[in-house]
Amino acid sequence: MSTRDRLRQFIVDTFFVDDFNDDESFLRSGIIDSTGMMELVLFIEQVFGVKIRDSELLPQNLDSLRRASAFVDRKVQAATPVPAT
Amino acid sequence: MTASLRHRGPDAQRAVLLDGAALGHARLAIVDLAGGAQPMIDPRSGVTLIFNGEIFNYVELRAELAPGYAFRTTSDTEVVLASYVSKGIDCVNDFIGQFAFAIFDPRTRALWLARDRVGILPLHYTMTSEGLAFASEAKAIFAGGWREPAIDAVALKQTLQLWSPVVPRTMFEGISQLAPGSIARFADGRLETRRYWDLDLGVEPRADLSEDEAEAELGELLESAVRLRLRADVPVAAYLSGGLDSSLLSAIAQSQLGGTLSTYSVAFADRSFDERGYQQEVARALATDHRSVQITSRAIGELLPDVVFHAEQVLVRSAPAPLYALSGLVNEHRTKVVLTGEGSDEIFWGYDLFGEARVRQFWSRQPKSARRPTLLRRLYPYLPLSEQGDELLAQFFGVGLDRPDDPHFSHLPRWAASGRTLRFLSPDFAERTAAEDPAASLIASVPSRVRGWRPLARAQYLEMTTLLTGNLLSAQGDRMLMAHSVEGRFPFLDHRLIEFAATLPEGLKLRGLKEKWILKRYAARWVPERVLRRRKFPYRAPIASALTGRQAPRWANALMSRDAIRERGIFDDDKIARLVAKLSAQSSSPSETDSQAIMAVATTQLLAEQFLAPAAVAQADIDAVDLAAA
Repeated sequence: MSTRDRLRQFIVDTFFVDDFNDDESFLRSGIIDSTGMMELVLFIEQVFGVKIRDSELLPQNLDSLRRASAFVDRKVQAATPVPAT
Repeated sequence: MTASLRHRGPDAQRAVLLDGAALGHARLAIVDLAGGAQPMIDPRSGVTLIFNGEIFNYVELRAELAPGYAFRTTSDTEVVLASYVSKGIDCVNDFIGQFAFAIFDPRTRALWLARDRVGILPLHYTMTSEGLAFASEAKAIFAGGWREPAIDAVALKQTLQLWSPVVPRTMFEGISQLAPGSIARFADGRLETRRYWDLDLGVEPRADLSEDEAEAELGELLESAVRLRLRADVPVAAYLSGGLDSSLLSAIAQSQLGGTLSTYSVAFADRSFDERGYQQEVARALATDHRSVQITSRAIGELLPDVVFHAEQVLVRSAPAPLYALSGLVNEHRTKVVLTGEGSDEIFWGYDLFGEARVRQFWSRQPKSARRPTLLRRLYPYLPLSEQGDELLAQFFGVGLDRPDDPHFSHLPRWAASGRTLRFLSPDFAERTAAEDPAASLIASVPSRVRGWRPLARAQYLEMTTLLTGNLLSAQGDRMLMAHSVEGRFPFLDHRLIEFAATLPEGLKLRGLKEKWILKRYAARWVPERVLRRRKFPYRAPIASALTGRQAPRWANALMSRDAIRERGIFDDDKIARLVAKLSAQSSSPSETDSQAIMAVATTQLLAEQFLAPAAVAQADIDAVDLAAA
């Protein structure tokens, strides 16, 4: 499953939303409530094995499905050691 | 019908059958214990009154009316009757009080209904082919066989988002409530209602008023409001939450009573909700006779069926349950009347909502500003989002920033948040109610002049018509008090004080982001320094732990099972099963959305269970039925 699909599944399961589009703001559209962002961050850290710094808690990193999955992919990539050639 | 309201009036129940009307009354005797029996009939005109509540200035009104009216008792009930006979229905304008009453005038064969200015006392009615039936609570109308109980789908949707139905709607189909500050006339099969009073926050602030003058006027009015509300032929006690408002009322009352005040408090086993330290400090400082009831999550779960039966409303918060237990404690100590502090946060802008609206308004002038929304952090240091960076906080509160003139601008973030509960509706129910937009219905009910008011005045109007009247005074107020035959009295809702506060310059209410500025200045002489300085602490009670997990009561497991949810058809059984599982497994504190949702589901299921297949109410035990045919 792609990062985007895993995140979508998590959001549907956790926040009981039926449908939303990839670019919808989680916070402005009310998909996630004020504690929801913490749950999302926790999920990303646990499932993708990355650490999110305070300075990265920004709307451009997290506040839509497209942004969050791109952010996670970047984090995962940065954390993966480059194989020696 | 009267027997079903015995909890509101255990001291006597009587009914009279008139030519054209039948009036029944259940009495809680507080003023003129011997003479205040009802229904009360004016011997000359035959005008007949049933009256719930209090007219606090009845002594002064009686003196005014006495030259022209032969009083037979010293009750406030007779003052209502005499006022009507002397002046007609516009006499309501003279009343300082909380009331719901009905008058049958045989001369015109008209029935009048009236309700107090802010809706402290309830008044429900229904129109049928046989006429008009009315009562304090809907259950009496059902007991009289005037309606088959059915949940009003639109009211339910409104309650999920706005926390109460939009007046005159109630949770039950075909049952209306008389709007606060209204009178209704029923004659020749027609019902006409009109407002005799409404909040006017469009008045020009008194710019020349000094702080000293404002404080002095406030003190005079509040002390008068308390003094009038201590009038009773039984002892008057006070609720004490440990916050500013109830501490201040207790202090004034104790001083006026000369040291005989009893105070009553709710304490929570869960320390994150508990305020007993402050309650005890105030009780000690004021030397009151203090008692408290300790509430656990388990107790809330167990009390909820009774709470919903009395509230007749779907709830998104569990806060009424401890107050149900508290009125029980008051009743155990044979006390019938308590002062309570509701209204202060609305009229003096104590709620965070007002500060939030002010920041959002300021920010909307420069929507791209990164600095302006950071003021929100000062209001909500405890919000989880506050740990997550200013920009995310800004996203959350930025709802509707492009619409600062929208009449519901102040409430958009809250309604966006509470609207999440609607996700849990079953697809079928959601489709049936798709045409209903609760916020739009509320705004449509707001008089057009409100649109021209300043932003925080608009916020106050919405707050008083939804949260205060629809919830704090009803589901959490009158109903929880009257469940145990206790009358609450609300000095901050004296209309003279409401009207005074409306004329104050904004800075005397919310100075910057400091709430209740002038009230705090006045309170400094009355309440302990530590209470005056404490951070605002919203009154809340546990929800998820009361309804799910190990401590869940049996009724909750039964009514929120997949089968029970599916059978009722209102909520989505799959989502509710997942919600229950999520909350049962969760060790950290649940989100606001999840808490509100589980509370709404549980109380909807309870309401349906209790009212749609109601147990028969005993119709015996009415002391007397007088046949007063004309």
